[in-house]
Amino acid sequence: MTRDAGQTVLQGVYFDGRSSRDQAATLRVDAQTATLELADGSVPVQRWPAHLLGVEAPVPGVRRAVTLPGGGRFETRDDAGVSAWERATGRNRALSGVRALESRWWAALAALGVSLAALALFVVYGIPAVARQAAFATPRSVLATFDRETINLLQKGEYFGPSRLSAARQARLKAEFRQVAAWAGGGYPYRLLLRDGEPGGPNGLGAKGLGTNAFALPGGTVVMTDQLVALAKSDRELMGVLAHETGHVTSRHGLAGVYQALGLTLVTTVITGDIVSAGTFAAAVPAALLSGGYSRAAETQADQVSGHYMLGTYGTTKPLQTILARLAKDDSDESGGSSKKSGPSIFDLLSTHPGTPDRIAYLKRMEAEGKPAPTR
Amino acid sequence: MTDPAAPPNDAPAPGREVQSSPPGALQPEPAAPGTVTEYPVGFTGTAGEYFRLWIVNIALTFVTLGLYLPWARVRNRQYFYGHTWVDGQNFEYRANPAALLRGYLIVAALFVAYAVSSNFDSTQWVAAALAVMYAAAYPLLVRQSMRFQAVNTVHRGLRFRFHGTVGGAYVAYLLANFVAGISFGLALPWAWSMQRRYQGEGLAYGSARAAFRGDVGPFYLIGLTALGLTIAGGVLIGVPLIALAASLLGNFDLGDIDPTNLASSTPFLAVALTGYIAVLVLYVVAWQYVRGATMAYVLNNMELSGVIRTRATFSPWRLVWISVTNSAARVLTLGLATPWAAVRQNRYVLGGLTVRAIAPLDDFAAGVGGETSAFGEAATELLDIQVGF
Repeated sequence: MTRDAGQTVLQGVYFDGRSSRDQAATLRVDAQTATLELADGSVPVQRWPAHLLGVEAPVPGVRRAVTLPGGGRFETRDDAGVSAWERATGRNRALSGVRALESRWWAALAALGVSLAALALFVVYGIPAVARQAAFATPRSVLATFDRETINLLQKGEYFGPSRLSAARQARLKAEFRQVAAWAGGGYPYRLLLRDGEPGGPNGLGAKGLGTNAFALPGGTVVMTDQLVALAKSDRELMGVLAHETGHVTSRHGLAGVYQALGLTLVTTVITGDIVSAGTFAAAVPAALLSGGYSRAAETQADQVSGHYMLGTYGTTKPLQTILARLAKDDSDESGGSSKKSGPSIFDLLSTHPGTPDRIAYLKRMEAEGKPAPTR
Repeated sequence: MTDPAAPPNDAPAPGREVQSSPPGALQPEPAAPGTVTEYPVGFTGTAGEYFRLWIVNIALTFVTLGLYLPWARVRNRQYFYGHTWVDGQNFEYRANPAALLRGYLIVAALFVAYAVSSNFDSTQWVAAALAVMYAAAYPLLVRQSMRFQAVNTVHRGLRFRFHGTVGGAYVAYLLANFVAGISFGLALPWAWSMQRRYQGEGLAYGSARAAFRGDVGPFYLIGLTALGLTIAGGVLIGVPLIALAASLLGNFDLGDIDPTNLASSTPFLAVALTGYIAVLVLYVVAWQYVRGATMAYVLNNMELSGVIRTRATFSPWRLVWISVTNSAARVLTLGLATPWAAVRQNRYVLGGLTVRAIAPLDDFAAGVGGETSAFGEAATELLDIQVGF
């Protein structure tokens, strides 16, 4: 580059845009005018107002290109000269900045950090937030369909069988649940399904049964197994559990979980997508694993709902505490014993094992503070 | 002011050995028939330089919530084009990111509409209509994308063009794929050949039309090789794994076989994982072989206006090896090796490519052909359509 009296002089190649001929040329630019002179003088010197010339954005290591009026191009390796001219005339400010970042290793490292942080933020906060919004935006009719399909699936897969409880006992529990449902509100068509969680007996094919469990589906269907009913020492404990489940319904946790898993699958596919197209299958696995981490906050929220119900109705959260403790003990006894027993099932919305002491502590705190009735 | 008034090809470029082409001639003429000049294609990109460009553009895409994506895509491509050289001149990519952004937004909106409406019974017809529209418009999108890519590729100041017709696109991408489908894949290599022919015959550099001199036979050879590879690999991998799995099963009581138990046994998981990885590797190998061999065959049978041919000397098998090791490197580095892998593959492919000409490269004339919308390009990129050129 040569600069004298505000003039930039660039050596390069000229293409007229009508043929593929390359011609050595000199481009001189000052504040007002640009002149192009061919080395062999075959074409008269061309002159334009400088502002008619375009400069293509810089890319690291790539020859710079100047577009000329009339479709011609001037290409030069004199990056410093073109950059000085760009700066003087304020061209390509943004992309010159990008190029400056691309040329520095510290910027690359910082970009790596920013990318990882952005990805982490998106996975930890972005997806759950979007999933929550999507869950609340989902129409009721869809929720009902979801319930029906899921129950059909569980029935067909023999995850549970018809309840072995007496008709009177079932009617009693359903009547009590109606009170909980009326309290929970939200306009959901709540119904309680009592089912046998070990349809093949405790040690037979029932290994894949739901076992001691209760869970809520998005549309207001709450399933409770005979085994959980048997575990409870009083109906208050069961109503605490069911109130907890209505909390999942009104907060639409189940649906949010589905959307979260979908979002995670999408992100994993976008990241791994180019590696192998078949990767979608592989991508589903970590997505499913990760989404398990979301439910902790949901459990606390549902516990809070149940705590409010119990404080309002019984004046204490004790029954839920005791059945949670018994569930945890039951589980550790079983996993310590025969390995045949079903491991943690995907439907374990209630017993998220490691958190149980925390959850009990939380319920105790709630009782101590004697929180006022929920405002929902 | 004054437009460059001189006619093209007014004088030969100084300092270049030029076979005497008459001044003013628009079409290159073989001055000395049989005199073939070979121009090796070179690639000057480096992994470190590209890594910085790549990661900075990813970060900017994140920070701008994706709005920067078209700029990132264009810069990535500009890097590869700008570092590809033939006879002392590089290629250039000139796509307008703002136009691409519009296309991306439209495609993304349609995709979201499809994803949302397909979830609800009452709106399923919307999803179905969108899917049918997509299937019907697919060849059009491919053609649009080809036009966009061609017209935005510049070499020696001249744009490439794509003249493939709409009818041709429907034959090559709808009819051929349909026939390939109903013939259980028997016609698949024929569909490949139709598609490569459509792409090759439609291409033009300036006003010079390209031609594809290939035949359908070699595509069948490529397809059969890939099929044989898949079957042989499947047997080699599958038989020992199944035997292993069976011996593991033998240790259980027969009454005990149920999915929950099986899935939780560590040896079984190990066997399943090995099998899964082996299938993925086999898939990559077969597919990359098809891609590499097809690319080599097409490049060996392309010619431009009767005076330029390309010759590919890279080996499809070596390309398979590069692809597999690249994939492994990317998985092991959680994607950070992607720029290195891309540069490595490009360097190998372009290093094995020669342009052979019986006329000087600086004697082509500009062609005509309107600008094209970026929608097809946006659609094919976002929806991951394999245009596969």
